[in-house]
Amino acid sequence: MKFDDKVPIYYQIKQHLYHEILAATLKPGDKLPAVRQLAVDLTVNVNTIQRALSEMITEGVIESRRGKGNFVTQDTARLAQLKEQLVMAQLALVYAQLHALNLSDDEIIESLKRYIEQKGAAQND
Amino acid sequence: MTDVLTIENLSYKRNQKLILANVDLTLAAGKIVGLLGENGAGKTTLMRLITGSAQGNGTITVSGTTTPAQRKSHVSFSEQLHGFSKSTKLARVVSFYQLVYPDFDLKRYQDLAAFLQINDDLKLSALSKGMREKFIIALTLARQVELYLLDEPFSGIDSMSRKKIISSIIQWTPENATLLISDHYVTEIASVLDEIVVVKDQTIAVHRGADEIRNQTGLEIEDYYESLYEGGVQHD
Repeated sequence: MKFDDKVPIYYQIKQHLYHEILAATLKPGDKLPAVRQLAVDLTVNVNTIQRALSEMITEGVIESRRGKGNFVTQDTARLAQLKEQLVMAQLALVYAQLHALNLSDDEIIESLKRYIEQKGAAQND
Repeated sequence: MTDVLTIENLSYKRNQKLILANVDLTLAAGKIVGLLGENGAGKTTLMRLITGSAQGNGTITVSGTTTPAQRKSHVSFSEQLHGFSKSTKLARVVSFYQLVYPDFDLKRYQDLAAFLQINDDLKLSALSKGMREKFIIALTLARQVELYLLDEPFSGIDSMSRKKIISSIIQWTPENATLLISDHYVTEIASVLDEIVVVKDQTIAVHRGADEIRNQTGLEIEDYYESLYEGGVQHD
């Protein structure tokens, strides 16, 4: 995995795992790879993985079962909440950038609709 | 968390010239630490002082032991194998390591050698630069110790070999061991480092957590490192 070296690595690992979970590459109840395996796969050190995982455990996105490993939570309400958080975070970026271009809220909504229509049309070609 | 290495008030002179002065450094167990500094800053010297191959003034404690002889059994240093003749087969070097180091774990060596695709039937002279460095890494990590010192394992090797070596470091560094790895170009290893230590102006100029640097400065580790030299010194 390629990291942005300006951003704390543990934070990027969390984002990576959130996406795996929401894209259902990792499904509710799935076991995560062992810590060292994750470290090797992502080319980071074991402590950084530990830090990311322990924060995700505190957040309730994954569960640690003693002696068994780490599992994606089966609490679908929690996962829905996580999804909402990530969607809002993405939208916040777009919103801030469009606002910086002096678009009003209505114009932003209109642009977004237009964008989706065009994108849909392009995909149906 | 316990400390693997404690250096107190260390200084070292060579030919009347001060190489290191007032060095204080403590490394906790279970960390991967980058030792950074320009060529000639004293990185290798610091490693040699830790292993006891060089003698300075001050106290160096590794896993609770302070004499050079005792320290040696807790530290594994990436020796450059200059003591072996070029026609020596790798298998002979491995036997020698087994003989000299009671903590040399042959199974670990074999696993590492398989992973790094090292052929023990070859002679030292037949190894490419990258292969030679892989062999040194396998020998160094095959020992079961608390502190590993890797002296510029990436200098002059290709990116595939470098990736392999980084993977082997992540995979084979024992859980509670600390690994100090020197380099003058940090980007290639930045993502695996817990902390960086910078040797500059004959002493430890910086000892800081890598994610702490990213968090507090918003800089890449390489840019942060270079910012320490702003307004000065040329790079190689």
